[in-house]
Amino acid sequence: MAQTQTTATAVARPPLTAFSWKSAGIAIGALIVFDVLINVYERLFALTKGLDYTSADYETYWMSMLFAELVMEAITAGALWGWLWMTRDRALDRLSPAEELKRYWALALFVVTYTYAAYAGASYFTEQDGTWHQTVIRDTDFTPSHVIEFYQSYPIYIIFGVGSLVYAMTRLPQFAKAFSLPYVILVGSPAMIFPNVGLNEFGHTRWFMEELFVAPLHWGFVTFGWGALAILGTWLQICPRVLALINHIYYGKPIQSPAEVMKDPQSSCDPAACVACAM
Amino acid sequence: MQYSQVDAEAKAVARKFDVVVLLSTFLALIAGFHVHQMLVAGDWSFWVDWKDRNWWPIVAPIMEITFPAAVQAVLWTRFRMPIGATLCCLGLLFGEWMNRYINFNGWTHYPLNFVFPETFIPAAVVLDIVLMLTGNWIVTALVGGELWGWLFYPTNWVMIAPFHLPVEYQGSLMSVADVINYMYVRTSTPEYLRIVETGTMRSFAGGVTGVAAFFSAFVSVCMYVPWWLMGAHFFGSTKFFKTYESASTEVKHA
Repeated sequence: MAQTQTTATAVARPPLTAFSWKSAGIAIGALIVFDVLINVYERLFALTKGLDYTSADYETYWMSMLFAELVMEAITAGALWGWLWMTRDRALDRLSPAEELKRYWALALFVVTYTYAAYAGASYFTEQDGTWHQTVIRDTDFTPSHVIEFYQSYPIYIIFGVGSLVYAMTRLPQFAKAFSLPYVILVGSPAMIFPNVGLNEFGHTRWFMEELFVAPLHWGFVTFGWGALAILGTWLQICPRVLALINHIYYGKPIQSPAEVMKDPQSSCDPAACVACAM
Repeated sequence: MQYSQVDAEAKAVARKFDVVVLLSTFLALIAGFHVHQMLVAGDWSFWVDWKDRNWWPIVAPIMEITFPAAVQAVLWTRFRMPIGATLCCLGLLFGEWMNRYINFNGWTHYPLNFVFPETFIPAAVVLDIVLMLTGNWIVTALVGGELWGWLFYPTNWVMIAPFHLPVEYQGSLMSVADVINYMYVRTSTPEYLRIVETGTMRSFAGGVTGVAAFFSAFVSVCMYVPWWLMGAHFFGSTKFFKTYESASTEVKHA
């Protein structure tokens, strides 16, 4: 593919401290602590206060928690996505290589935080819901396990996933003028698991009270879960550009300018770079 | 000296990106594969009495060759890394054990020998080895897919054999697994939903597992192909779609 190449003679190197784990450590650490505390709360109050939807205790311990978390999630999502959008870079075509590499690192930490949140929601809390349903009779769609799984763990990973996508689209030339198919699938498909809760709960309310996990009613979750595989394509898009930036900044090798990447982002995904990386 | 310092910095940055890529990929695969597995074959995975000789060797392998095939398609064709299936199945096992130990056992007190998950690690290693040795995904589908279906039951047999021993319980002949099921009530999976040892395949008597594995291997081959293709051309795609404003004038007019 035709590329205009520029050779740098002296490229500024970002300090190694720019590639710190700190922000992801804080974010994932906070999520883990939060998840542990939520588990403790569930152990304390699910079986003691969460078995009768009509009781005052249920209202206090579970419905108030549901309303509080939904409000907080909406505010957090709006604030984070809005802030990312409002502070977007309007001069991406003049982005320096060092700054671009630093932003890819920030994006990588955003993505790894998203995948932890997705693991917690789709793997841990989803199967935990199975544990709960095998132990109690389903009396409400807002049963304690659902308050945590559906209405808490799923929105959390959606907030991080969409946030990472908005970050990429507002701060990186590769994603600024074109939609990345794998990245949109990686974020959008698991995000659709949350709306699919509507189908699930309607189905369980209308015709299927049991919790046979392999019931076709649950297969919407399955289909949307497949989108997690698109992390492969997402990294295949990102890694060649990161490798090119490293080669440019540290070894002075030629690289496409940000303006060229914005114009034709496909050209920045050289498959040969993957092989070079593996070697 | 100066070059070596720059070189070291470059390598340090690259290694950090490597770690993030590997960690996030592993976590995403756990999330996607586990939610897939628990909702298409989960009941057989949750309970030892569901781990029968009839349906479990069919349902579990054919539904779980999916992610391994897709991940193999990317890791092999792009990186020549024959670890796609093993990586997936390791992640799945991690996700399953986290919940079985902490919740099924730690929270609701089902005994672990009632709720331990199946393993696909041995079959996954074989699937990866077939791909590595042949370097051909069609052959891997045909040979590896067959082995995937055939190997599942034998490689799990050591774990489940003690639970298939016959016992007499209140005048009825049952397996140990059935007695455990009888003792630990599953509120939302009543007996009429249990898909165990049903259908006329039971007429094969002692040969039922072989027939189930034979069928399972056949479907595994068939499942491997579309999932490899989806991995290679959809989930592993590097396609971008341009926004309207950045499209060329010709495209806009068209």
